[in-house]
Amino acid sequence: MTFVRDDLRPLQRRTAALLATLAVAFAVIFVRLWVLQVIQNARWRTAAENNRLRRLPLEAPRGMVTDVHGEIVLDNRPTYQLLLFPEEMTDAARTAAFLTRIEIAPADEVKARLDKARRTSHLPSVIADNLAWSQVAAIAAHRAEYTELEIHPATRRSLPPGATVAHLVGQLGEVSPEQLADNPDFRPGELVGRSGIERAYQDVLGGTPGNLVVVVDAFGKQVSALDEEPPVAGRPLKVTLDLALQREAAEAMAGQVGAVFALDPRDGAVRILLSQPSFDPDLFAGHLEPAKWRELIGDPLNPLHDRALQALYPPGSTIKPLFAAGALRDGVRTPSDSIFCTGGVTIYGHPYRCWVKGGHGRVALEEAIEVSCDSYFYHLARDAGIDRLAAWARAFGLGQATGIELGGESAGLVPDDAWSRKARGQPWYGGETISVGIGQGPILVTPIQMAVAYAAIVNGGQLVTPHLVEGRGQPPRPTGFPADALARVQRGMELVVAGDRGTARRLGSLPVRFGGKTGTSQVIHKQEGVHWQDLPWEQRHHALFIGYAPLGDPQLVVAVVVEHGGDAASVAAPIAARIIQRAFGPRAEAQAVTASVPPGWQETSPPSGRDVHLEAPPSSTVQAPPGAQASPTATAHVAAGPADLRRPVGGTARREPRPTR
Amino acid sequence: MRRLDPWLLLAVVAIATCAYLAQGSTAKALATPGFANRQIVWLAVGAVLMLLFAFADYRVLARLSPLFYVVTLGVLLTLFVVAPARAGAQRWLTLGSYTIQPSEFARVVTILAVAALAGEHRQSRLDFKTVARLVALTAIPAVLVMLQPDLGTALTLGAILVAALWLGGLRWRTWALLVVAGVVMVGVAWLWVLKPYQRERVLTFADPERAPYSSGYQQRQSKIAVGSGGFTGKGLHSGTQSQLRFLPAQYTDFIFAVWAEETGFVGSALLLAAYVLMVLRILVIALSARDRVGAVFAGCTGFVLAVEILINVGMVTGVAPTTGITLPLLSYGGSSVFATCISLGIVQSIWRLRYANV
Repeated sequence: MTFVRDDLRPLQRRTAALLATLAVAFAVIFVRLWVLQVIQNARWRTAAENNRLRRLPLEAPRGMVTDVHGEIVLDNRPTYQLLLFPEEMTDAARTAAFLTRIEIAPADEVKARLDKARRTSHLPSVIADNLAWSQVAAIAAHRAEYTELEIHPATRRSLPPGATVAHLVGQLGEVSPEQLADNPDFRPGELVGRSGIERAYQDVLGGTPGNLVVVVDAFGKQVSALDEEPPVAGRPLKVTLDLALQREAAEAMAGQVGAVFALDPRDGAVRILLSQPSFDPDLFAGHLEPAKWRELIGDPLNPLHDRALQALYPPGSTIKPLFAAGALRDGVRTPSDSIFCTGGVTIYGHPYRCWVKGGHGRVALEEAIEVSCDSYFYHLARDAGIDRLAAWARAFGLGQATGIELGGESAGLVPDDAWSRKARGQPWYGGETISVGIGQGPILVTPIQMAVAYAAIVNGGQLVTPHLVEGRGQPPRPTGFPADALARVQRGMELVVAGDRGTARRLGSLPVRFGGKTGTSQVIHKQEGVHWQDLPWEQRHHALFIGYAPLGDPQLVVAVVVEHGGDAASVAAPIAARIIQRAFGPRAEAQAVTASVPPGWQETSPPSGRDVHLEAPPSSTVQAPPGAQASPTATAHVAAGPADLRRPVGGTARREPRPTR
Repeated sequence: MRRLDPWLLLAVVAIATCAYLAQGSTAKALATPGFANRQIVWLAVGAVLMLLFAFADYRVLARLSPLFYVVTLGVLLTLFVVAPARAGAQRWLTLGSYTIQPSEFARVVTILAVAALAGEHRQSRLDFKTVARLVALTAIPAVLVMLQPDLGTALTLGAILVAALWLGGLRWRTWALLVVAGVVMVGVAWLWVLKPYQRERVLTFADPERAPYSSGYQQRQSKIAVGSGGFTGKGLHSGTQSQLRFLPAQYTDFIFAVWAEETGFVGSALLLAAYVLMVLRILVIALSARDRVGAVFAGCTGFVLAVEILINVGMVTGVAPTTGITLPLLSYGGSSVFATCISLGIVQSIWRLRYANV
């Protein structure tokens, strides 16, 4: 039997072809391994690092701020914040639902935060702040499900109770792109000072944030810490503020709208900086809910506005001591030059009224300040002319920022002919000079400017730079007003409180004697025969008082503005008096001020609910609180009537700007 | 022993060593120390099986192949009745505390049946009747496996058909017809057979940016693991991707990534070289087989193993879609190891009997 061996050659040819094809495929895989592992190694190694390493920002605690007596103005308190690692989030809708369920924020707000976090890609974002314990527990319990969430200890600023220091300390906020570009030390998302001391002294208070590099597994569980770069805490800052006085000022203001600013006239050290209404700076420390933000900026009283530095008011009669000093220096008046006030004057064919209908009789410079005689200053303004009035105002620092470190100041407005032509396109009218002579018309000042100007009057003519930290600010500059002229003006201001006819004479019996000047600047035209307490709140005049003490060696100048306070002597002056009593007298004397002044001023608060209609026409019905007219104290007030109201009439009044509110 | 192919043995020993080390590493990562030990036990049992089949006569096995084939189909069918659905699939048969994956053995049996068929057909080119029988032989188990569903194993059964048709010699017209039929089949499979997750895998491979955190996630983590290994690797048990469990399915489908991350290009190239040596020797054995049965069995086995290796490593390195095809001998699993060792044993038997004149 012949065995025919099967012809396998075609099969072997095809097997060889198969072998060749597979060899090519294996070669491709070899090349692929070479590319991945050798050529692209750096790229994939970085990807592996990013996978397993989490860089946790360690916030640096900000520095503590203490006042002149060492009392804490600003401190830190521990909180927990929620970090999100956007790259690890697999199901944003599920995470959003979870965060909404534990009440981090309303659903749409949570969604918005997650979307924002995802846009910033690989960096962790803080999506909630100030977590409640229940939230911390809920997140910790679900960490395996939501590996993208991480609880992170942090600190927040804490403010002292009772003192309204919001505008002074300012807010924190995430560093802006411009700041990031300017300063390479800032990190994205870092909280930096946005206003107030926090911004002015960011370089002292802000520390250097650190880093913690941790290794995590695929489930987000921290396996080990790899590298820690500890944060450097901010340095403490001692400011010149006197928290006790600040607190006293806030109490004395009793919720009224306005500002209190006080400084040491000898060097410009700030003691009080209060603006009301205020806000809670904590709102800005992390995520500001849109509803709260809308509420804040929609508030007609604008709580974010720092009235002490930014609000512009007509100075009213508080300008008079400045012009008196100027008139003495430049020989426009001698101390004994006098006029006879009959309750009004006629200048350039227009009648101008003094605030006292019957007139003040014969008054020289000191009495003119004491009784705040408008007639005297109408004549003085006419004789001086607007250019000299403007020069004096500027010599006292009006019309320019005072240079306090906080910044954001308003420059105010000192009008003259050049300004009128530039801003209004018309020449200055002589009649306006007469209004400016009593602090009305287009002249606008800030409370801090008036405090600096009065400091110059009482410190021998030095213009100081207000400052919050010892040694800051320019050295005092001489204003060029002679000492004897300033002494005369001071004598007039002492009589405002101590004199028989002084506008603030009811405060003359207090233990600590002080000087000052009242000012009631008008918001709308005075209506004949209507007492200020019968006007709706927003139509009442602003009440101003700038005082200083002690008399021999002034160490404190206090400027008080109560918006729509109505009457300077009974509303603004007692506030300054309380602060001065607190500063230089025994604690118990504070009540003496309240006792000596009927509590009528307490009814100058804006209507409850802040339902203020700023556009209300002057003819609207009177909205005074029902108790105001009926109360015996209010009636007594009308009888006492030292209201410092005046009304320039004629063409000038029409051009008066409405004071800022 | 001397009549066995030493190169093929060497390749298997090298791969088994890598398998033990890689499984040891992933066992540490997953905190399941038993895995590495069980894999080495299976490899040892596999070696015994390999020797048993090496000293058996493959021609006898081929003659018995109809019996094996019918039994296997029966087991695959029973799976739909008795097997519990695990991870959404009915792939495993439970025997006491062990589970067996019959589809792995179905592959060997199908190759054997194909080889036996080739033995009967002695022309240099295939006729239509034989082609139809070949298609039926591979399609029946392939469809059963695909319905489990186990796309990866079904694809390797398809690879058997491709290899058989190629080795059998097909006219170009028939190839064209089969390609058209294949396209239609793929279309049908896409529309009615594939599960959504399987479709998603294919789509993700076509466009990796499609879903970076779901289907694409596995492949991205795998590429990170391989790429970050560098030239010399991060060291055994020190791969961050595996030890911190960023790598998915790291003891089965993605075991190569564990090895590549920890031993670098040096280690992965050595392992791949061992696989190349294995495939090369199998095909050399196919070339030197004494008869059509041996040549077709070795040729098909070499091709299927090569396809598995290429697809798996391609998937791990991001040049092939994630199909769920395991890496022979390296991926964890007793059934896979046993089935592979049995095929290698039969291949050794073909080598041993290459000059036998009986």
